[in-house]
Amino acid sequence: MQRLKDLGVIFFPAYDWAISPTHPEREERLLYTQDQLREEGLFDLANISEYKPEIATYADIDRVHFCFPGAKEVSTASHLVAAGGAIKAARLIMEKEVDKAFAMVRPPGHHAMKVVHGNRGFCNINNEAVMIEFIRENYGRKRIAIVDTDCHHGDGTQDIYWHDPEVLFISIHQDGRTLFPGTGFGDELGGPSARGRTINLPLPPNTSDEGILYVFDHLVRPILDDFKPDLIINSAGQDSHYSDPITNMNISTQGYAQLNEKLNPDIAVLEGGYSIQSVLPYVNLAVLLAMAGVDYSHVIEPDYDPDRLRQSSQITEYLQKLCGTTLKSYFNPATLNVKLNQYDTRIKNIYYDTDGISDQQVEQIMVCGNCSGVRHLTSKTDRCTSSMGIEIPLDACPRCRDEGYRLLDEARRNFRGNTIKFINRLEREYLTVNEFELTPMGRYYF
Amino acid sequence: MLLGIDVGGTHTDAVIIDRGKIAARAKVETCRENLIVSLDAVLTKILKPEFKQSIDRINLSTTLTTNAIIEEQLEEVGVLTVAGPGLAPETFNHNLGRHFQLFAGAIDHRGTRQRELDGEALNKALLQLRKAGIKVFAVAGKFSSRNPEFEDILAAEAAPYADFVAIGHKISGQLNFPRRLATAYYNAAVWRRYNNFADAICGSLEKFNLHAPLNILKADGGTIDFKSSRSSPVQTILSGPAASVMGIIALSSIHEDAVILDIGGTTTDIAIFAQGAPLLEKEGASFAGRATSIRAIKTCSIGIGGDSLIAIDESGAVKVGPQRPGPPLAFNGSAPTLLDACNVKGLCALGNMEKSWAGLTQLAMEVSANMVDLAEEVINLALKAIHNRCLQVLEEINQKPAYTVAEIIHSQTIAPQKLFIMGGPARVFAPELKKIFALETVVPENFDVANAVGAALTRPTQEIDLFADTGKKRMLIPALDLRKEIDRSYSLEEAREDGINALKNSFEKYHFADDSSPEIEIINAEEFNMVDDYSISSKSIRVSCQLKPGLETDYRNA
Repeated sequence: MQRLKDLGVIFFPAYDWAISPTHPEREERLLYTQDQLREEGLFDLANISEYKPEIATYADIDRVHFCFPGAKEVSTASHLVAAGGAIKAARLIMEKEVDKAFAMVRPPGHHAMKVVHGNRGFCNINNEAVMIEFIRENYGRKRIAIVDTDCHHGDGTQDIYWHDPEVLFISIHQDGRTLFPGTGFGDELGGPSARGRTINLPLPPNTSDEGILYVFDHLVRPILDDFKPDLIINSAGQDSHYSDPITNMNISTQGYAQLNEKLNPDIAVLEGGYSIQSVLPYVNLAVLLAMAGVDYSHVIEPDYDPDRLRQSSQITEYLQKLCGTTLKSYFNPATLNVKLNQYDTRIKNIYYDTDGISDQQVEQIMVCGNCSGVRHLTSKTDRCTSSMGIEIPLDACPRCRDEGYRLLDEARRNFRGNTIKFINRLEREYLTVNEFELTPMGRYYF
Repeated sequence: MLLGIDVGGTHTDAVIIDRGKIAARAKVETCRENLIVSLDAVLTKILKPEFKQSIDRINLSTTLTTNAIIEEQLEEVGVLTVAGPGLAPETFNHNLGRHFQLFAGAIDHRGTRQRELDGEALNKALLQLRKAGIKVFAVAGKFSSRNPEFEDILAAEAAPYADFVAIGHKISGQLNFPRRLATAYYNAAVWRRYNNFADAICGSLEKFNLHAPLNILKADGGTIDFKSSRSSPVQTILSGPAASVMGIIALSSIHEDAVILDIGGTTTDIAIFAQGAPLLEKEGASFAGRATSIRAIKTCSIGIGGDSLIAIDESGAVKVGPQRPGPPLAFNGSAPTLLDACNVKGLCALGNMEKSWAGLTQLAMEVSANMVDLAEEVINLALKAIHNRCLQVLEEINQKPAYTVAEIIHSQTIAPQKLFIMGGPARVFAPELKKIFALETVVPENFDVANAVGAALTRPTQEIDLFADTGKKRMLIPALDLRKEIDRSYSLEEAREDGINALKNSFEKYHFADDSSPEIEIINAEEFNMVDDYSISSKSIRVSCQLKPGLETDYRNA
């Protein structure tokens, strides 16, 4: 058996928050998990402790997202506590209080993109991104790998880190042709300054333990070995389980536990998982045990039948090929047709399924040889709001830094919209321009 | 008149309380080999002829079960368990003797049977256990507090072979299978020893012609009636510290957040009060290396007391405790202790002062310091360590998890406003502790019999947990073994009423000395919708209520 590790669990079930009473993302989603953990006496184990979440501040959110009209308007107290749970996990790891941490919090966050107008895919605020930027703001620049194991493509996290060469994002999910949000294909490899730092592996429906573990051994492991992250984060969705009601995969509890053992993440942040009564308690338990290095081999679903779940040989062959080509894309990503020192433009149409908002974004990134480039975007929704975001990245070169301020000046003179958000990670200046009046951000106190 | 007796590790104390006043008190040394000897001795001393006919009630706190478990004087127990999916058996089967048996079968968190109990294996195991001469059993199943059917089967099958069977769900209705299991095990393992002792108590009381109702103290600052204690002796562990804490409530008036220090020779015990009530352990006491589900007042210890050794370590730094070399030099001890430092510093003048001076002089020479400065440093070090431990305990308590947004935002923290100090050196340290804690500091009168006073005045306590599932049309209160069919419309309000009534009924026959009815408090009441196929189909309702720990009469105002 492997070595025991000190595991900190931030358990926050948010029993007073739901999208609607019968929505999959509802109050009691983690109730049965809590019952299971309590009945097992999990927190009586010497190496597993429970911690209280912190409350994220609006400043923590404004460091990451362009929230329109503002962080306060697009989030609720629950989102601040869930993101605060992830921050607590980060603090426990960075202060070396524990070896591993799991923020078992809801609401989830991985569909929340750089721009936030409301709720999409059950998410408003990207908990992982808020956490990572908290780490980089307080503990210095780090190489971070996010492995998103949720059954749905982590399109929000992908969008946030699209241009960031220091954050590797790998998403392993059910093929987007068969499931929300319909993205996450092999050719989505990151922006011009972070090519190959976004990796997607769409799994065919009915992939079983064998398939997903193969992907870990033959794709995730070699990439992590090459990237050499300072921190590995599991964006931990438990909804590829064979019993999940809103997906079509065949992963078992044991498969999930082995996957976590192989990945060996420093921090896990809970995402989806909607088989809330029959299986989520077992999967969450097994994943926690795997992270803590405690024997999980007895956590087996009562109806587990490996023969019924076995994947077809076509899936096995398909995945072998797909892993091969995807690995090539990491090491030798197809280059983009871009010109150095000029803006590269991305047009995005984003639909907020929960809130019914349609958003049209034009994003421009400076193709810079010296840094990841200043980012500039405009966002127009069908609710007649027009907003702008400007970001000077953490690794900005002097030229891109000055360019950010030039863009801000120009926007203040010429932009005919509602809100401008300005993020300067380099010098930690965060501004909101509302109605063309400059007000310092971070004036919101919780 | 109320008679309270605390058979402690070193001393056995007794008090008689008459209309709010201590009418008599007695102290004898405890005979650890035979506790009945101590009981007889203290009764002989305290029971003047005029009291004998006027004793209305006897409350007894005893270390018998505590000692039996610590000293491993435990009977071999047949441990029968069903766990189903979850943690590996190695995480919960240790320290449970040599006859642990795990059977296939599974019940899930809703109480649904997911896999049948392996009856064949059970029968085989019982035959083996009978051959091994096993006479007492403990049965425990995972999620038995949601559905006790497997435990019922295990208990029924074991009964023909058994003098006694301890049953998990009757011990606690709360979730935590390993704790229920360990508690059931201890209960069975001390059952015979406790009942022999109980028989001897009866004999002893008969001898003194005492016929008043008898209650036994528990770790949560309450009592259990003597008859019930015979089937749950494990409830009587750790009752000594609980008696002291209840005694402090009787001797002082505590209405606020407070810290209680009981400074002894070897250790200082810390208890925390929130708005005048002692805090309990969240899930139960941890004891002899096992977490149990025994409700207990939260107490923490630090290895610093009047007899703590003063030593100089290799680096030349001064250390106090946790070793205890024996009595202080001032009392003919062999090494300098904290109390000797207090003599030197002038905080007290106890025993042979010269010996304290001589001891400290020698230490001071070793570190080339002034003797009085050294004494001051030692005292500061010791008291700061106590203060730090208290801060740590408070921090842990205030860090307790919360599960709703509302709780997180409006979280209540405990901020002590008063410090209560008892124990032998209480008065010596009080002025210094007052400075360090910066709190109003109280040393109650009569604190040396706080344990016996607490014992005398303590009232019964009990907690029950109710679990209802309107989908399964089932309500159960495991601790009382009460089950009821409910309809789908069963509400949280009905559950609260059912809980309160069930608890009331179980105390109907209890004699409350001051004729007040028991104060029942709902600790927790929650309901959750359970959704199947995207429509709300049923409710999961959880209610916990308790008979609050409290004192029979208000000692101060009577």
